[in-house]
Amino acid sequence: MENIYIEGSHTNFFVPTVEFNAETGVCVLSGESFLEDTIEFYDPLVQWLEEYTSEIKKPMTFEIKLTYFNTSTSRSILDLLNILKEYEDDGGEIIVNWHYDEDDIDMEEDIEDYMLDTGLEINMIPFDEDEF
Amino acid sequence: MNTINKKLSLGQSLFSEEIRISYKGPVDGKIITFLGDYIYVINELSEKATRKIFKIFFELAENISKYSADKIKLKDGKEVGSGTIILKETVQNFILVTGNPIKNNDLIPVMENSKNINNLGHDELREYKREVRKDNTIKKDSPNIGLIAVALTSGNPLDIEINPIDDETSYFSLAVKVDK
Repeated sequence: MENIYIEGSHTNFFVPTVEFNAETGVCVLSGESFLEDTIEFYDPLVQWLEEYTSEIKKPMTFEIKLTYFNTSTSRSILDLLNILKEYEDDGGEIIVNWHYDEDDIDMEEDIEDYMLDTGLEINMIPFDEDEF
Repeated sequence: MNTINKKLSLGQSLFSEEIRISYKGPVDGKIITFLGDYIYVINELSEKATRKIFKIFFELAENISKYSADKIKLKDGKEVGSGTIILKETVQNFILVTGNPIKNNDLIPVMENSKNINNLGHDELREYKREVRKDNTIKKDSPNIGLIAVALTSGNPLDIEINPIDDETSYFSLAVKVDK
């Protein structure tokens, strides 16, 4: 299974950095997400997770370090987290860490809402933006 | 002067408010990211206000880009919505104001959704956002989800005004306050 690496950019749109590693099971989504076509960008990530969780079935660590994402992206993040929850329910080992600016109360509430929506335990890891 | 003009006014109240950003024209990704980045360099904004205005700005600007009835074709062939975006500072708040023509068919669901949003408290709004977000019958880029996020981030009601242009189109104006 191929790894996915997409280098993030901050130009006409904000493309997040994606590092999905099939050998280590470590997946990282970081940066900012404001895309011209959100579905086109996230569908391959959804498919990758579906393939990993049905064929590779090794322990996974999913790291989210997004400082900004728009509401279109928020739906796609829900899709990703739902796959991880299904994997966990089927016996898969999964750790989800979500890093967020300690002063960003809205982001903190967003993460809490994702936990309620998915039933997935998400480790909320605040950071100091100046040190990030 | 009617209230729509007050919302978009650039020169009527200079003693009580300052214009920090004013833009009128096509709203594509380039303009959205440029103005979004510019919000971060405005000296008068606190860190908290900057983050909130940035998030609200992106949702409102995207709505203009996708749903404005005034479409402009760019050189690359893409057609984008056109509208007005103003960021004002008053003594107590920052106010982000957007305005654009909208097809009346698109207007009714937006008005109903906004009325619903303004009747909900913070926790109810969070619950409503979760309901709408997981409803697969609603398009992923629906403006309704964006408006819920705008109200949540702002912590203030959505101030919407409609002025009819003709039988098919109205001018839609939205002002959102962010406390200093």
